[in-house]
Amino acid sequence: MKLTSVFHLAVVFTLLALMLSACGGAADGEFVILEWAGYESEAYWEPYAEQYPDQPPSYSFFGDDAEAFAKAQSGFEFSVIHPCSSWWQLYVENGLVQPIDTSRLSNFDNLYPDLVALGNFNGQQYFLPWDWGYESMLVRSDLVPEMPTAWADLWDPQYAGHVSIFDSSEVAYVVAALTLDIDPYNASDADSEAIKQKLLELKPNLLNYWVDYTELSQMLAQGDIWIGANAWSDSYAILLDEGVEVEYLQPEEGRLGWVCGFGISANTTGASLDKAYAYLDAVLDTQSMANFGNEYYYGVASEEATKLLDPYIIELMDLEDPVAALNNTFFYQTISEDQRVVIEQIWTEVKAGQ
Amino acid sequence: MEKKRRVITLLSIPSIWLLLFFVLPFTIMLLFSIRETTFSPIFPPTLSHYIEFLTTPVYLRLLLSSAWIAFVTAVITILLAYPLAYYLIFHGGKHRLALLSFLILPAWTSYLLRVLAWKVILGSNGIINTFLLSLGLIDEGMPIFLYSQSAVIITLVYVWIPYAALPIFSTLERIDIKLIEASQDLGASPLRTFLRVTLPLSTPGLVSAFFFVFIPSLGEWVTPSLVGGADGIMYGNLVQTQFLRGLNWPMGTVMSTVLLLIVSVFTMLFNRHVTMKEMSALA
Repeated sequence: MKLTSVFHLAVVFTLLALMLSACGGAADGEFVILEWAGYESEAYWEPYAEQYPDQPPSYSFFGDDAEAFAKAQSGFEFSVIHPCSSWWQLYVENGLVQPIDTSRLSNFDNLYPDLVALGNFNGQQYFLPWDWGYESMLVRSDLVPEMPTAWADLWDPQYAGHVSIFDSSEVAYVVAALTLDIDPYNASDADSEAIKQKLLELKPNLLNYWVDYTELSQMLAQGDIWIGANAWSDSYAILLDEGVEVEYLQPEEGRLGWVCGFGISANTTGASLDKAYAYLDAVLDTQSMANFGNEYYYGVASEEATKLLDPYIIELMDLEDPVAALNNTFFYQTISEDQRVVIEQIWTEVKAGQ
Repeated sequence: MEKKRRVITLLSIPSIWLLLFFVLPFTIMLLFSIRETTFSPIFPPTLSHYIEFLTTPVYLRLLLSSAWIAFVTAVITILLAYPLAYYLIFHGGKHRLALLSFLILPAWTSYLLRVLAWKVILGSNGIINTFLLSLGLIDEGMPIFLYSQSAVIITLVYVWIPYAALPIFSTLERIDIKLIEASQDLGASPLRTFLRVTLPLSTPGLVSAFFFVFIPSLGEWVTPSLVGGADGIMYGNLVQTQFLRGLNWPMGTVMSTVLLLIVSVFTMLFNRHVTMKEMSALA
């Protein structure tokens, strides 16, 4: 029977395809970086390329932190990963990363101690800060009747229907907590309930929730929204470039700040581990960091590298005195799995609520 | 015997495909719904997410409002698609198939592109706002046409009209013209002929058009996320959030299972009204 043999072949191929797709990630000795899409440029790790000229790292990309964590947690084999601070604790809690021997990194001492501290758990360094940035309100100064001055002004009815906020549970939670003068990282159940009510009260002012920053820039440029909440500094730079009249606020409660950094997989050993340290030292190199900051208009985690940034970026990000700028910024702290569940639940109910 | 064996062999490839790529993944997904968190083991299983779904009013409320959006979309789509199909059949003459192709033509471009086009039309600097501004009816461009439930309905109706027109077109095409002539010979007015002859005979097309639009619209998430804004959020958006940013796969699974059950009920109703024979005639 011809058909039967075709059928057998089909089964064999299907099974083969399934087996192949089940693999993926690092094979033995392979060096894989789980990284944000677009961050793989060699300009950020030249010293590594000099040390291992014929063995460039392979990359696997993610689009947001939840995706990265899901990938790592479901068994994807990586050597080095680059999540942001609020997710760091989850990696440590789940045993996905190993403590870093900072004495093996020549560039470690240059990093800002305050940011380094965020990656320290139980007295051991699990993550090294690399890139950071502000989150604030980006305001169409020519369209608003009156300039907002604080995060609390997002609730001002004069902006009704002209506000967009980042579609992230954690961001919304922290902003509401700040305006209520609640410490978002030590909130009681009653505090969380108050935050939820506060966020529900924001809904009449919201036009939508933005998901990617090009969408946010477009809405601001077209005047669909007047205030883009929790906008990043790169959106500010893009809009200025296009000649849109925007201001990047310094809210009374302070700007928020995100910081992301590198960790090494708990499964990385031997030659891969040596490569991991070489790679980390390469990205932490002053010139590598400056190359990154100049390309993306973000902050970098050492003062030396900040000095090498383009003067325009320094002005744009108020980095003349970088340490003061960092001190004025409220950085997202790391949160436990239980806290994350509570925060997600609140955001779901707010978005679905009427 | 030989023929039967051949049929079984032929069917086994699609069946295996379905088993491997639908039934198996779906079972794996279902097992997530009884986990405590996304990455906890299956044992001990928990029904807590189902209980939470049923006891948290926002989920059911959002499901209801999404069903309403899908229902209104389906009704408006049919109201617009029926005259189109009717015109093509009874007045399109020999060009009707060509005209039908023109109707379907936009459906060949990317879905995303067509939805984004509506952002251009409905936005603050969009065509509608510019028009109203030039008439002096409004003072400044308003984004109210965009980012709302109405924007979601407008966009979905636009997207679905060709798909709804197709089944109506085929049922109208199969109506024996002699029946209509007989009705008119017996003195019925055109309206009465339509209501008593044409419309009843085209019911199967209407029912399939309704479900063709209603079922996919119920689980829709792309359109609301692009043009819906804060008010136009739909159930599908929440399911997506649970799986991606929310990292709450168990809850996402519970939500999609509920949606699947509801859609299955509608599909059964659909099958009761439209038999396989009629379906094959449609195709």
